[in-house]
Amino acid sequence: MGDREIPLLSGAMHYWRLEPAAWRAGLTQLRDLGLPIVETYMPWQVHEIAPGEHDFGAHDPQKDVGAFVDLAGELGLYVFVRPGPHINAEMTYFGLPERIVYDRACQARSPRQNPVLQPFPPRMFPVPSYASRTFHEEVGRWYDAVGEVLAPRLFPAGPIVLLQVDNEASYYFRDAAYEQDYHPDALAHWRRFLERRYATVEKAADAHRASYARWDDCAPPERFRAETPSELAVHLDWAAFREDLITQALAKMRRRLAKAGMKNVVTVHNFPLGEQGVPMSSTAIESVVDLVGFDYYHARREHRTIKRRTLYLAGTHRVPYAPELGIGAPAWFTPLANEDSLFTAMTALAYGLRGFNLYMAVDRDRWYGAPIDPRGNPRVEAGTWKQLLSAMDRVGFHALARRAEVGLMMPREYARLSRATSLLGALSPTVLEAIGGTPVEACREDSFGLTGPIQVLWWKLVARFAAALTHAGVPYVYVDGDAPAEQLEGLRVLVTPSFELCDPARWRRITTFAERGGTVVYGPTMPSLDLSARRTLFEVPSHGRRVLIDTDDDARHVVDELVRDLELARPFPVRPAPLEATVHEDAARPRVLFVVNPGKARLEARVTVPAPTRLEDLLSGERFEGREEVAIPMAGWSCRMLAIEGAVQAIEGSGEAVAS
Amino acid sequence: MISEDLRFEGFDARSWTNLISLFAPNVVSRLDREAIGSDAPEAEEELVTDARGTLVVVLDDRERVLKAMHTRHGRVRELDYLGPDQLEAMAAQHRASRCVVLREGVAEEIGERVAHRIERGDDYFAQLLVVTRAVREMSEAGLLVTWPRTMGDVPIPTIGMVRRALDSVLPDEHALVVVVWSRTTPWTALVLRRRGGLVDLVAGPDLIARWTGPLGGDWRRDYRVISEAVERHVAPIHLGLFTERATARALLREYEPGAWARAAAVRDVILHPTPPYVAVALGADAVRAAARESARWIGGVEALSQLAPLATYLRSRVAEVASVTATLGFDPLKLLAAWLRRAEEDAGGG
Repeated sequence: MGDREIPLLSGAMHYWRLEPAAWRAGLTQLRDLGLPIVETYMPWQVHEIAPGEHDFGAHDPQKDVGAFVDLAGELGLYVFVRPGPHINAEMTYFGLPERIVYDRACQARSPRQNPVLQPFPPRMFPVPSYASRTFHEEVGRWYDAVGEVLAPRLFPAGPIVLLQVDNEASYYFRDAAYEQDYHPDALAHWRRFLERRYATVEKAADAHRASYARWDDCAPPERFRAETPSELAVHLDWAAFREDLITQALAKMRRRLAKAGMKNVVTVHNFPLGEQGVPMSSTAIESVVDLVGFDYYHARREHRTIKRRTLYLAGTHRVPYAPELGIGAPAWFTPLANEDSLFTAMTALAYGLRGFNLYMAVDRDRWYGAPIDPRGNPRVEAGTWKQLLSAMDRVGFHALARRAEVGLMMPREYARLSRATSLLGALSPTVLEAIGGTPVEACREDSFGLTGPIQVLWWKLVARFAAALTHAGVPYVYVDGDAPAEQLEGLRVLVTPSFELCDPARWRRITTFAERGGTVVYGPTMPSLDLSARRTLFEVPSHGRRVLIDTDDDARHVVDELVRDLELARPFPVRPAPLEATVHEDAARPRVLFVVNPGKARLEARVTVPAPTRLEDLLSGERFEGREEVAIPMAGWSCRMLAIEGAVQAIEGSGEAVAS
Repeated sequence: MISEDLRFEGFDARSWTNLISLFAPNVVSRLDREAIGSDAPEAEEELVTDARGTLVVVLDDRERVLKAMHTRHGRVRELDYLGPDQLEAMAAQHRASRCVVLREGVAEEIGERVAHRIERGDDYFAQLLVVTRAVREMSEAGLLVTWPRTMGDVPIPTIGMVRRALDSVLPDEHALVVVVWSRTTPWTALVLRRRGGLVDLVAGPDLIARWTGPLGGDWRRDYRVISEAVERHVAPIHLGLFTERATARALLREYEPGAWARAAAVRDVILHPTPPYVAVALGADAVRAAARESARWIGGVEALSQLAPLATYLRSRVAEVASVTATLGFDPLKLLAAWLRRAEEDAGGG
């Protein structure tokens, strides 16, 4: 910010839910935790007192968001504002005015033109359509009102440095493939999407094996009906269209924010839990906003999920960032203890998260567990968060990097097929993944005459390689199949599932990676059909290794070969399993070592070090050292953040250990 | 029965988790369960030693299996569906404690029916009843089959029936208070208020502490301070339940007749005030126990004499208890007990 470098760390505080008299204490405590930025939503529903008429403090001081922002600035805080229109925030109608959600013209539609209901308490309600022109016009008027208050307070004139465009735009958690959106404006968008993709209606008809005479004939699928590969194209297009609909809606909202005077500030969008099942393209959305991040709400036992999500951010996005990293939760969510939140935060940092927004930092209605109470008093839990933030500050964590030489590719076309073939309606791949399952959990098992059920097998293959790389101690990241080429820079190996059906554009990126010297591991099948199931010539990657993986041992064997042949780095190996270690370094040397115990049992970690080394636990202050190996006691479900203090020159003898 | 302006506040993570652990032990214990060892679990590859979780099977119109999955162990590749009469055997074979078989498209059909029927202004409970009815219709049409059929014979009440039952439990413009102590401090607490027919406030220990100020540390005295504060800040209390953590845990898991009545008699539980339906329930509990095993009672005759007024009260108010059951068509306490028992069994699996 200007000539200052500040880490991307913030904490949430909702001004409209707190007495204005408590704002100063809350903001001060938030700052004292070590957070440089305060985040707040702006609820449309709260500020709108009549259609198109808004109160920003003229009538009710609790709604004076301008005063809140100014106070934050006065206290030396930067501000991150999230004006919706969708904010959730556990509000009835997710922060939208009731008149909007019950306006038929704004509502998303089911195949039978019914509204689509968001299921959470305290009230189910019809969700808006991301395609509805009426809805976007209403949003524009809301943004105009917001702009009058916020635009004069944008950095550098004011403290606002971040803006979020909408919120968790996953169709309001009703995101199964054939649940929505069949709004007339969405269907018009579908036809435009096909026009962009195929140029002529004849080509679209050819791809869909349909008899379209004009674009209006292109009806969307209302349920999955394919039995052969050639019938898959229309379903894959529908799945891709639903991603595009969200991307275009967010692009429209961002443009509208700019028109309302809110520009030249970093913009953000956040994905909900279950991002691998969600009908959104994080890479496409990152072309619309500056930063895409994931929201984290996890129990300690969900280590693997936290790891997978963070490694995806690290391998696919500009900055591995969590716009919501939960401290506490809403009452209707799985109950989480402070230990769960802390473990989640530290584990995410271990795998490469570089910035986060602690949600909530200050407690409020319809929430429990924030470290600061609604009157601005720190709770006991505030101490541990302050220690963590202090530790991050001490090592300059935001500027460190975790190196990975292996990328596991998540092919987007296969993820779309998984969504299209999921069988449980509202229990969509997103929901199943969010509640601890997988996004392929409910996919039908049909093979469509191909090698096998691709919609299930791709995930299995990626999971097997992830387990094998973890077992070998090789750092890796996940790369979205649509990720830009620069995300592959720095990787030496790319592992990708491949079946007969494949996106030729993705395959070209893979072969380009191979031509530049990268090693490609693919299989079980060399692609031969494009997304319309037409025979297509796919180039065999140079340096490619085609593999058949039927068991976990097969994947381990391949990884062992890669490690041996390519001398892949395995820094600071740790044993016994299931302990894991990650290393974060600056340009000079390794600075921070995380040791993670993802299991319930207490274990003693034995970390192999390249030279006599001293480690200091950055939170507890404990010190550990050793010549070739360092022993560290690990409680069950725990994570230690350890400063690597450099090679120890004399551990024995005088008893003095000198760090260099 | 839930207000759209519902306020929920005054819990920290510990007090909320403690509260949930009392009434939904499986939800909390699930957090302490080791995760499955794979990102892509398959039941055939899992070491399954006990029968827990749910087997979900999706069929097409020809009863061909499109998908089978186990909620704890993942994808099931080898499954033969032998018909709705074989669900118990199928569950046993695949180490599941429940089984759900549904036709393709049923989930979507439920979604359409619910969206079509829910009306603006319906509160959340009314909305849930619409969902329940849609599910029941699928079940009655044979498109959704479950084992065991725990709720199969329970009639679905109307919203009016539920409202009348709630009137007995928590009348309008009244509050319900539960405080559970651990030694000298509240371990968890809950205040519910009903206003305009709807529950509009759920408050936890932090908020209660703000209303009461510092407490003395003796819960058998402090409960009066809390009661007075809640009456002052929230609403007249219809039912107050005050006890210690160990007692609460024991009683919620206690099926021995007379346990609640005995605890109330010896002030291990303080019910203050005691609304008629609770008094009747306690009286019924006491009489049931006395009829079976009065000789084994701790406190013997003395305890029985303390309960005598309740038994007398029972005779005069028995029609009220019967009316709750008659209104709903089922005994909600019996259902709750069965549900908690089931939750306990699930939690026990670790």
